[in-house]
Amino acid sequence: MLRLRFHGRGGQGAKVASRVLGTAAFLDGYNAQDFPLYGAERRGAPITAFTRISRDDIMERGLVSDPDIVIVMDETLLSDPQAMPLSGLKKGGIVFVNTPLSPLETKEEYGIEDHVITLDITKVSLDMIGKSVLSSLAAGVASRIAGIGEEALKGALEKELSGIISDRDLLGKNTEAALYCYNTLVPVQVKTAETIREKENVITLPFETARVSSPAINATGNTPLRRTGNWRVFRPVWNYDICTRCMTCVSRCPEGCIRLNEDGYPYADYDNCKGCLVCAEECPVKAITKVREIHSRSEEGDQ
Amino acid sequence: MDTSTIRSIKELPPEENMLPGTAACAGCGGLLTLRYCLKALGDKIVIVNAAGCFTLLTIYPFSPFRNSWLYTAMACAPAGAQGVRDALDILIKKGKLDPEENLKVVVLSGDGSAYDMALSSTSGAIYRNLDFYYICYDNEAYGNTGFQHSGASPFGSRTGTTPPGKEVPVGSQLQKKNLFDIWNSHKPPYIATVSPAYPVDLMNKFKKAEQFKGPKLFISHIPCPPGWGFDPSRSVRLAKLSVETGLWPLKESVHGEVEHTYVPKKFKPVEEYLKEQERFSHLFKPVRQEDALKSIQEMVDEYWKKHELLP
Ligand SMILES: Cc1ncc(C[n+]2csc(CCOP(=O)(O)OP(=O)(O)O)c2C)c(N)n1
Ligand code: SF4
Ligand code: SF4
Ligand code: SF4
Repeated sequence: MLRLRFHGRGGQGAKVASRVLGTAAFLDGYNAQDFPLYGAERRGAPITAFTRISRDDIMERGLVSDPDIVIVMDETLLSDPQAMPLSGLKKGGIVFVNTPLSPLETKEEYGIEDHVITLDITKVSLDMIGKSVLSSLAAGVASRIAGIGEEALKGALEKELSGIISDRDLLGKNTEAALYCYNTLVPVQVKTAETIREKENVITLPFETARVSSPAINATGNTPLRRTGNWRVFRPVWNYDICTRCMTCVSRCPEGCIRLNEDGYPYADYDNCKGCLVCAEECPVKAITKVREIHSRSEEGDQ
Repeated sequence: MDTSTIRSIKELPPEENMLPGTAACAGCGGLLTLRYCLKALGDKIVIVNAAGCFTLLTIYPFSPFRNSWLYTAMACAPAGAQGVRDALDILIKKGKLDPEENLKVVVLSGDGSAYDMALSSTSGAIYRNLDFYYICYDNEAYGNTGFQHSGASPFGSRTGTTPPGKEVPVGSQLQKKNLFDIWNSHKPPYIATVSPAYPVDLMNKFKKAEQFKGPKLFISHIPCPPGWGFDPSRSVRLAKLSVETGLWPLKESVHGEVEHTYVPKKFKPVEEYLKEQERFSHLFKPVRQEDALKSIQEMVDEYWKKHELLP
């Protein structure tokens, strides 16, 4: 049996990706299971979804804690303690990362020992679909790695996406992008050992009384530590030659993360700017431009 | 008590009483509203928050607020507020709390809670003349659990539970409840509608409300990018359009007397607002649903006609 775990951010389409993969596997003659895990999630928060694929009956239920394949749809999740996408990955497992980095660079950047496959599916999505919605592309990637046939993938995309996307044109673009990802990746052999890495400890929480399990937060204003800047696909960049210091962007930012420098010009705190681009839209003189965020290469800019 | 008015966004207080890093969606119009509200209210407040998107702003071990915060079930934030208010009053009376340390009690809830589940507990609180602020961020559905239909969902909208189909191509067939009038029939000292696109109006309404003891109620119409289906960058624009088309009148009521605080010089056609959102897209394609579009426009026109404000 193959066990896959998808890690994405709310809105990226991890749930749909796992579903398309499950259906593709089913159409290819396998038994399959797919399901998401939601916590208290909003758009942008870490989301997990699972797929099990097997020639035999699948008697296993519940979360996949020891996957053979992990699909990381947002590379910033690799350093997110809430997500920990690599936890429980079996020895010899495969990690797919959505990044412009090469597999070798990714291994070094994040200290990954396992087989890493990379592709900048955000770029593919922006180029081919026009926006960053990754469900079908991640399903294409996962189908290739799991060894599912191309026809089965096509069938699954049609079946699952036609219920969500009414626009035939958009559906076509999604299928094209998914097949592009599928065919860009080189097929691999998934041969995982049944063991997970040492030091991987699964934590079970004991039942706690209400006073312990719903504790008080005795701190104020500490959310900036959550670094929601990782949610960004585009970043706002200011052009001070045009800016009139009118304060519109400062006022309109839903996050309240635009500050003023010594000269009274605005700048975003990129640690927490979610990249909604309300500021760019509202600037009366168009002094703010939208630039594709490449997190792994922009740490200096993030400060 | 400072009730001086401000005239431009440059005069908004610079203090941020809600910090970034929350779990709210990028471009959430509700978050922008809340940011302004907290600028107006200051940090000596306690927020009593009914279950909804905004209970996720505070997730252990993080809080974006500079003030205290209490989580309640959807139906009972006003009852929670009563408990907090009573506790504060008793502590002050017994000399265990310096009156200087007194806090304003603020209820924060979505429309599902305000228009539906908590309507009776809110009615009770207004009836008892509870001294509190109530802020409802109205995204016109139960946003947190998948955008299901609520008492605030407008006619013609697609929600999780009113998908347009062959039988009912229009989506929701019900009209939005008029929460402002329901509240107003209780004759509380102060009620206002606000919008994140009009922060100066919002700020001045909070300043005005400050002079009243008793219930001070605010409803903010707020664009919700994932629920309404639009690019987050258009959030403020859509909030503006809902006001400029006349769909969301900005007004206030002082002891039951209603006054509009902003009347667009020229009303934009509602279509301009509707066509930007996925939740209304079925009204335009594959076929234009003329009747539905017409009836939405008529509903808006009738409102302004009734108030003799239609140019
Ligand atoms: C009595 C009760 N029923 C259901 C729920 C589950 N629930 C949590 S948040 C939510 C939606 C709240 O909708 P709304 O008040 O409109 O706020 P929003 O989610 O839009 O912020 C629901 C149904 C609950 N917490 N309590
Ligand atoms: S992109 Fe959005 S979050 Fe970032 S600075 Fe602009 S308005 Fe604020
Ligand atoms: S809105 Fe534009 S012009 Fe105004 S301060 Fe911001 S960047 Fe400058
Ligand atoms: S679902 Fe809508 S209201 Fe809720 S946090 Fe997201 S944008 Fe805001």
